[in-house]
Amino acid sequence: MEKAILFLSSIRWQDVLDITLNGYILFRLYVLFRGTNAFRVLMGIALLWFLQRISSSLGLVVTSWFVQGILAVAAIIIIVVFRNEIRSVLQAKNLRSIFWGFPRPSVQTPVQIVVDSVFELARMRTGALIVLPGNEDLSEATHSGIRWRGLVSKEMILSIFWPDNPVHDGAIVIQGNEVAEVGVILPLSHRQDLPSYYGTRHRAAAGLAETTDALALVVSEERGNITVAKGSEIRTVREEGDLSKILEEHIGISTVQQKGMKKEKLELAAAALISFLFITGVWLSFTRGLDTLITLDIPVEYMKRDPGLEIIDASVNTVRLELSGSGALLKTIKPDQVKVQVDLGKVTAGTSSFTITSRDVSLPPGVTLRSVRPPVIDVTLDVLTRKELPVQVDWAGKMPPGLILTEAKTTPERMQVTGPKRILDRVSTLYTEKVYVDNMEKSGALTSQIVLNPASLKLAPGGRERVIIDYKVKEKGP
Amino acid sequence: MRKHCLLCLLTVMLVSALFDPGPLQGQIEKPILVDAVLCEDMRDGVPLNPGVVFPVSIGKVVCYAAFDPVPRRAVIYHNWYRKDELNTKIRLVLQPPRWAAYSTIQLREVDKGPWRIEITDDEGQVLDILRFSITD
Repeated sequence: MEKAILFLSSIRWQDVLDITLNGYILFRLYVLFRGTNAFRVLMGIALLWFLQRISSSLGLVVTSWFVQGILAVAAIIIIVVFRNEIRSVLQAKNLRSIFWGFPRPSVQTPVQIVVDSVFELARMRTGALIVLPGNEDLSEATHSGIRWRGLVSKEMILSIFWPDNPVHDGAIVIQGNEVAEVGVILPLSHRQDLPSYYGTRHRAAAGLAETTDALALVVSEERGNITVAKGSEIRTVREEGDLSKILEEHIGISTVQQKGMKKEKLELAAAALISFLFITGVWLSFTRGLDTLITLDIPVEYMKRDPGLEIIDASVNTVRLELSGSGALLKTIKPDQVKVQVDLGKVTAGTSSFTITSRDVSLPPGVTLRSVRPPVIDVTLDVLTRKELPVQVDWAGKMPPGLILTEAKTTPERMQVTGPKRILDRVSTLYTEKVYVDNMEKSGALTSQIVLNPASLKLAPGGRERVIIDYKVKEKGP
Repeated sequence: MRKHCLLCLLTVMLVSALFDPGPLQGQIEKPILVDAVLCEDMRDGVPLNPGVVFPVSIGKVVCYAAFDPVPRRAVIYHNWYRKDELNTKIRLVLQPPRWAAYSTIQLREVDKGPWRIEITDDEGQVLDILRFSITD
């Protein structure tokens, strides 16, 4: 019980938002893509991911590697193969249908008219091929269609398939309550198990049903039979009632409409629940799954320091953080995602001690701070001050034999530097970089740079970094 | 009468100004540094090869300082610093009426680098600073 309370108290509002947001995205993907081939493939990829995780945890190296390879190209496969479905979803008329609405056929196909027409065509032994699309876009599977856009009526359907009509040989596509296209060429099926008496119309119907989620109706010219093709199933329908039922199921309306609505609501509720549970599971596996520990050495950043103060000493420059979290999260953590920042806003000159707490450490979500070593940092700050110091040449090397350097004068002779007061109090001379005397055979001048040591010293604004050295060389006395 | 009084007053002021011992007398009480050099050695009381760069191979460096006048017996110090750190402090006694004093340090390999000598009086007042380097 205590563990449960501890767990619940550790959940942040960001975690709740994270799960809700991703759960809703998953649910919307289901709503938008359900019934399409893309959805089935997405489910397959999700299963592959699970397989990869399981094989990885079981130590099946090759399987894990193989599945990982498939998953790596899965995203590209989805985009390329299902571009039409993705396009049809994204080309929705308004954003509401993507983010909130539930796709329903806005105008229902007049099933009875279609059924009556088909049975009339069968009685007349007039060949016909009628396509009722599902959720998928048919433009990739079909071609050569002629736009028609006429309201569905028995007379129109009969006239389109009248043998003297120029477009009677192709298929018609019924979308909603209108005949969208006529004279459409469908892909032929290459199945070997189809009856030998099936003609081109049957093979075309089967071919379209195999590659899309559309339903195709065929009226045989020779036998007067009515055949329905959907998916890989092809069957002959003899009763008008049966055909009505098949068409209503395909379109998504039922004779018992209320029952269907209730079923759909239940299905959506189940999908929503599964989406949220799935995302919660993923979140748990990322944040609370395997409790792994890592240690990172992170540099300490000092914030909000008074510009008039300078840090002259700190007991440590980096601290060692012991972090815990799931293995997956800790594996991806980068040192620049972790920061240790000490607030020097209220600190005055002198040495101050700071205890590093979790408030001073910023971590990626889901990662917890276990310990800090050392837990206390001593920082010494000093007031920045200015001081004028004499410049001295740091001679080095060996004078040529018989000569002596008798005089040296720097210009300027004194320079102003700024730095922490404690340090400046100990410094009484500014030295140049080493100036070698090995080739100094006669008097002259040269320039040299000032070496600021310690590094916290800086030349006062306007001060130049180089000085001119005038020197005199004489011969040594006897 | 008034004229005579004014003339007397001016004469008194002029004489007192000429013979006023105040500040002048104070300066004379302290020895005055007239020359200070660094050299390789002393020969007959004269600095030999004065300079600012000395090779460590010569073995020693001499700091020479001459005072004139030295009104009374006085003490001065030669403070030898290597890179801002006091290396040695040498006490020297000056005798009137004038005096030249020198101090010496022996050179070692570790003494290479920039040096300075502060010549101070017994109250710590810096009379002069000499800068030099010990090189190869």
